[in-house]
Amino acid sequence: MANVITCYKWVIDEKDIRINPDRTVDMSRAQRKISEYDKNAIEAGIRIANRLGARPVGLTFGGPEAKQSLKDALSRGLEAVYWVGHPFAAAADGMVTARVLAAAVQKIGDYNVIVCAEGAGDTYARQVGPRLGALLDLPVITAVCEVEVDGQYLVATRKLEDYVEKVKVSMPAVICVLPEICEAPVPTLKAVLAAGKKPAQELTPQFLGLEEADLAPGISVTGVLGYVMNRKNIILKDGDVAARVKELVAYLKKEGVI
Amino acid sequence: MGGTFVVYSDKPQLVLELIGFCTGAGRKAVALAFDAAVAEECAAKGADKVLFFNSGINLPEAYCQQVAEAITGEGAEGFIVGSTVRGREMAAKVAALLNWPLASDVSRVVAGGGELEIERLTYGGAVVQQEKVRLPAVVTVPPGKFEPSSKPKAGAEVVALSAEPDGRYTLLERTRIERQGADLANADKIVCAGMGFAKKEDLKLAFDLAAVLGAEVACTRSVAEERKWLPPDVYVGISGATVKPRLYLTLGVSGQVQHIVGARDSGLIVAVDVNENAPIFSAADYGIVGDLYEVVPTLIDALKNA
Repeated sequence: MANVITCYKWVIDEKDIRINPDRTVDMSRAQRKISEYDKNAIEAGIRIANRLGARPVGLTFGGPEAKQSLKDALSRGLEAVYWVGHPFAAAADGMVTARVLAAAVQKIGDYNVIVCAEGAGDTYARQVGPRLGALLDLPVITAVCEVEVDGQYLVATRKLEDYVEKVKVSMPAVICVLPEICEAPVPTLKAVLAAGKKPAQELTPQFLGLEEADLAPGISVTGVLGYVMNRKNIILKDGDVAARVKELVAYLKKEGVI
Repeated sequence: MGGTFVVYSDKPQLVLELIGFCTGAGRKAVALAFDAAVAEECAAKGADKVLFFNSGINLPEAYCQQVAEAITGEGAEGFIVGSTVRGREMAAKVAALLNWPLASDVSRVVAGGGELEIERLTYGGAVVQQEKVRLPAVVTVPPGKFEPSSKPKAGAEVVALSAEPDGRYTLLERTRIERQGADLANADKIVCAGMGFAKKEDLKLAFDLAAVLGAEVACTRSVAEERKWLPPDVYVGISGATVKPRLYLTLGVSGQVQHIVGARDSGLIVAVDVNENAPIFSAADYGIVGDLYEVVPTLIDALKNA
């Protein structure tokens, strides 16, 4: 049975990131999660697989901690999940990630659609999907908000800045979906329990035939600073509502916006 | 410094900004164009050379192979692309074909010899990351980062190339987006509705306040995509619209970083929310801690009498 492969990323939950007063960034207590946009992508992959009579599977590349994502991914309705775990992932750029995913996709084999979210919740670089398509020599449609299957073709509606386009490509193909493609349901308890019995397979870089040079990024991070909003932060919380509103209106007048 | 950068964007104004960047970085600018008028404009406004793909094109992304070959043919050390949906796709595919790194959506880029120093936002805008990108490389640059080039260079030439598109793509339809909601990009004032609204009908409060202020109404991603109360083109945030009004007034918006990143360049940010500890207040110039259902009617009255 052919596979519909959805790629996802196990990212740091941005709500746990602490920005210190000196703008240093503390991620030491941050939990991880499947990138929010990838949750929509996983559901989209499952729906496409259902229409094609194919097997929906997941694929992730991350550090050793990405192993913790497998059960969550499977509980979302995927039938199997493949993961490449390597400490190199922490320094990987889009070039390395796409190479690893391309090698894994070829190893999984027999695929007709590869689904990626438009971008990941941490880097939001929006490059891995189209990059993966080019490496695998597959047609790619990005910024997809609707997708239909038409025989051997995918017909996708994509959203550009000023236009909507309907594009048809032959399968196999890569689509990069916007979160509005479909909702991502919260897994049921039954699905969570069933996830433990589904197959999860590790693919090591060695097994994929990747060499050290393939895992060397072209981009290195030289500095990380918390973003600080420089705002007045005048917050009115005392007095009754009428008094707070009156004070606000006075400020808005002074600022010249009313 | 020498060297050549190839530039491309599907937005003609952005191409001129990218040419401006190349000139400022001491590089030769070779512009790619899929439209004769754009090709002429680039040649007249500062490109050193224009490669015009004369192909009756409808999907520039279907010519990535030829673009990669042209970049190699020019001996370029960089491909600088406008950060739009089409541009990002072209950039990523060409980067893969050339086996070059790609730095996306840079908020700052400085070209040195042999490398680029860039800055970009990560984690929904909570973190500013500085990166070194070794050349040759691909970079995508959003609009408004560089002064558009305007003066012609001596000896600028337009070279027409013929190319066959990738036959696996068919463009079936292209429709201009009729905005369902407000034109947020050009709005002078915006009222933004968040999950603090209990029912869709209650959004009337936001629209009434907007009417008094002469503002447009926007919302958060959850209001548009989870509740579907407003069309997706009016949600503000990293995956939605980026806005820059003089006044951005939020109602019942908690202020997650992914939202606020879309409005952080607004002139004045004002927040109304019931939760005193909501992150929106640290992103706001002025705020009222209070129930929006009480505050908004009072505010509307006060503004009418102001």
